[in-house]
Amino acid sequence: MPLILHIDSDRWRDHLRSTWNADIIPVAKGNGYGVGNPRLLAEARALGAKTVAVGTYTEVPPDSKDDVVVLSPWRSFLDVPQGKNVIHTVSRLADLVSIPAGSRVLIEVQTSMRRHGIGARELRHTMLLNALDRIKFEGWSLHFPMGAGGTSANIREAAELGKQARAVRQGPLWVSHVPAQKLADIGENVKLRMGTGLWLGDRGAFTVRATVLDVHSVRRGERVGYRQRRVTGDGHILVVSGGTAHGVGLEAPTAAASVRQRAIAVAKGSLDAAGMALSPFTIEGKQRWFAEPPHMQASMLFLPSSVAPPAVGDEVGVDVRYTTTIFDKVSMD
Amino acid sequence: MSDLSIRTISADEHAAYLAAQPSASFLQTPGWAAVKSEWKAESLGWYDPSNPGELVGVALVLYRQMPKVKRYLAYLPEGPVIDWDAIDLGRFLRPLAAHTAEQGAFGLRMGPPVATRRWTAKTIKDAIAGGQQPKLGDVRADVIEPSGATVAAQLRALGWKAPKSGEGFAAGQPQYVFQVPLAGRSQDDLLKGMNQLWRRNIKKADKLGVEVTLGTPEDLKAFHQLYVETAERDHFTPRPLPYFVKMQAAMANQPADVCDFRLYNAYHEGDLVASTIWVRVGGHSWYSYGASSTAKRDVRGSNAIQWRMMSDALSAGATVYDLRGITDTLDPNDSHVGLIQFKVGTGGEAVEYVGEWDLPLNKALYTAFDLYMRRR
Repeated sequence: MPLILHIDSDRWRDHLRSTWNADIIPVAKGNGYGVGNPRLLAEARALGAKTVAVGTYTEVPPDSKDDVVVLSPWRSFLDVPQGKNVIHTVSRLADLVSIPAGSRVLIEVQTSMRRHGIGARELRHTMLLNALDRIKFEGWSLHFPMGAGGTSANIREAAELGKQARAVRQGPLWVSHVPAQKLADIGENVKLRMGTGLWLGDRGAFTVRATVLDVHSVRRGERVGYRQRRVTGDGHILVVSGGTAHGVGLEAPTAAASVRQRAIAVAKGSLDAAGMALSPFTIEGKQRWFAEPPHMQASMLFLPSSVAPPAVGDEVGVDVRYTTTIFDKVSMD
Repeated sequence: MSDLSIRTISADEHAAYLAAQPSASFLQTPGWAAVKSEWKAESLGWYDPSNPGELVGVALVLYRQMPKVKRYLAYLPEGPVIDWDAIDLGRFLRPLAAHTAEQGAFGLRMGPPVATRRWTAKTIKDAIAGGQQPKLGDVRADVIEPSGATVAAQLRALGWKAPKSGEGFAAGQPQYVFQVPLAGRSQDDLLKGMNQLWRRNIKKADKLGVEVTLGTPEDLKAFHQLYVETAERDHFTPRPLPYFVKMQAAMANQPADVCDFRLYNAYHEGDLVASTIWVRVGGHSWYSYGASSTAKRDVRGSNAIQWRMMSDALSAGATVYDLRGITDTLDPNDSHVGLIQFKVGTGGEAVEYVGEWDLPLNKALYTAFDLYMRRR
């Protein structure tokens, strides 16, 4: 039995409609924020978006009529789809002269992110000025950091860099990680790329459910699992759907920003070291411990005897990161 | 064949000899010595002892002093001007070494104006697009010049050291240049050879009313302002205005009118949008320095001014329009490739020269100088 993402489609689409406007470019990349890119592209079209953004060239939909912006910068060694609807991001001077003439191009400017982009001091380089007429210039692109104190700093930086870039060549400014209602503070003709805020902006519309596949009663000290660990008390072993193949139990490095978050990370880390790990599966309103590391498609949990075990076939809740989980099914309810 | 004789000659003799040649580098004209006034210089002439009145070759030698001692590197930029197809180059080079050693040189450096290989614009374009990221020197050439190999073999046999690839003296002249051949071609042929973007931009500039005119020495100041603006944009250190004033005065007023030195200005509605320096010696013409405004890029002044310089080179009877140095990188990930792309658009060819060769005259001092230059 599968790991299923249930979406309350009316509630989700209400949120999409109230969030999206013509200045917002929906982003569909990676695992499609758990929902899957094909569905996101269909929803974007239903909203009325004429342009969408994808992460990489491999994510460009093969037969799209709409404009598709590729966020990863163009490189000469990449396999690039030839469609006239593809808008490339160019982040280095060398690429401006190497990309095929006539390509549709957004020029990315380096921000405090320091990831990709042409530095502000290179914006008037003769090579850039000359290259502007080799290509079909579609605008400037800026990518900002997220989180603590970010918003006002990002707005300031966007306004400043935008002014510098537009002094070189007029065109739309494409930004990320800026609140939609603040776009006017940056200037005229600003487009906002939006992924998480759009698709996952109302988590209440999403429920993830796993299925109980097996239940066994165990006594304290009995060995269980591939690794034959002893259980810590009397209770039940539950086998539930959802394992490493779905991304369950796999964590990206912590992005803990506050002291409290760090403390939690440290505590979790020491529990990890002791071989104890809290699972994302919730039973009776609480996250339950893994009995051992998750298997490929299922996980073994330990449920203490104080809690009545669910029956085989029951569904349990799962708290996962949508961008790192591959669901067996997305159900539009 | 016995060795030739060599003696110091006057600027007049020097220039008159050059003026009678099909071409020579402007760095070998007597005027260039005045441009590089921080170095001692002398004009040399070769002659057959049986006929002392007739020169058979000339050279401009710049003596570059070594720090702390009164000894010099004798430098012949893009020279000497001799018959490089001679059976025995030693007849020229042995007397040159003896003469410069007498003048206090611990070593000789020269850049024979001898091409070794040529690559067409198409070959270069394909190599960049091929994604193998080769060096130009590793790409199969379209033309291999027979003189190149024989000159290099002779120089080795005579004890000269081949150019060091990569690091070394940073003072030298480029080994790879980009040239547009003009011999036997018409203006139409030149336009047809250019890529679409160049042709479109030349047309556009014309339609928008860009006017290219010949400048006067008084225009150097405006040229220099634009050149400083360009230097700020592209992050290179500009030469000061007096350098160009000196260059104009020294190069334009040479005996026998050996050097045709011009300033070109491109205007759009009264605004200077591009300004360049153009030089010609016999059949060889060069685009030497260029500057363009940050504003009004869309009127394509840079393309208009290049087209005018090329056309004027053609009507002056030049056989080559030389856009000077290119790096040998064909890696599309290297920003230097932009310069090549701009030049390749003219439809010309990349030319490899034999490079700069050294002859140590005093081993210890030469080695010390070499080390000093590398560590600078």
